[in-house]
Amino acid sequence: MGRSVWKGPFVDSYVLKKAEKSRESGRNEVIKIWSRRSTILPQFVGLTFGVYNGHKHIPVNVSEDMIGQKFGEYSPTRTYYGHAADKKAKRK
Amino acid sequence: MSAGANTRVCVGAVAGAFGVRGEVRLKSFTAEPEALAAYGPVETEDGARSFDVTLTRPVKGGFAARLSGVASREAADSLRGTRLYVDRARLPEPEDDEFYHADLIGLAVHDTGGALLGHVKAVLNHGAGDLLELRRPEGPGTVLLPFTKATVPTVDLKAGRVVADPPEGLFD
Repeated sequence: MGRSVWKGPFVDSYVLKKAEKSRESGRNEVIKIWSRRSTILPQFVGLTFGVYNGHKHIPVNVSEDMIGQKFGEYSPTRTYYGHAADKKAKRK
Repeated sequence: MSAGANTRVCVGAVAGAFGVRGEVRLKSFTAEPEALAAYGPVETEDGARSFDVTLTRPVKGGFAARLSGVASREAADSLRGTRLYVDRARLPEPEDDEFYHADLIGLAVHDTGGALLGHVKAVLNHGAGDLLELRRPEGPGTVLLPFTKATVPTVDLKAGRVVADPPEGLFD
């Protein structure tokens, strides 16, 4: 069962403050956060967060289709490298 | 290690024999698992043996396949653990701004001032875009660099060089 709509999405307040400060400054920076539980809000689109995974901060470029998810979903706590084989990376 | 040094890529491995008629169980490492057989003959790591691969059906953990020259269960079982390689040149040309992981791994990454930031150790994707994992020159740690045009403006595969303009705070 999902969170009640009347409560609104949960975001740690310090994340909101840091995001606002970064947007106002207009600098190209990684906003380091430890709050994996915070919801990604529309005002975060275009910013880059460094989301802590217990070991280091994983850069997360927020795009529109990530709105409503939690930051922690993009910062896995375990790394599996696998084989390069024919896998491709797209530079966006 | 530059991209040019990597002339072969590992596309799969033999997990063991499958059945009693000389079929093998193959693990595929390719992005589309069925593509394992599409790149032509595969070679063993030392290049001593070459096989044509015919995938017969999907099975648990991979594919049942026939390898040319392997006709018995004993021959199939003797290949257990063998990694299968194809020439990098046999992979199709990627589209604009697309790069094979195999080409990127090992490239030197410099900042816009020319200072060495590290070498590409791996390419990761956790759902928010591709990331280059850099092995730092001065220590054992690694740093993740978003693989975007803003952060990585230049990728020169021929020169084996990547130019990055990392955002503030990434290397702290």
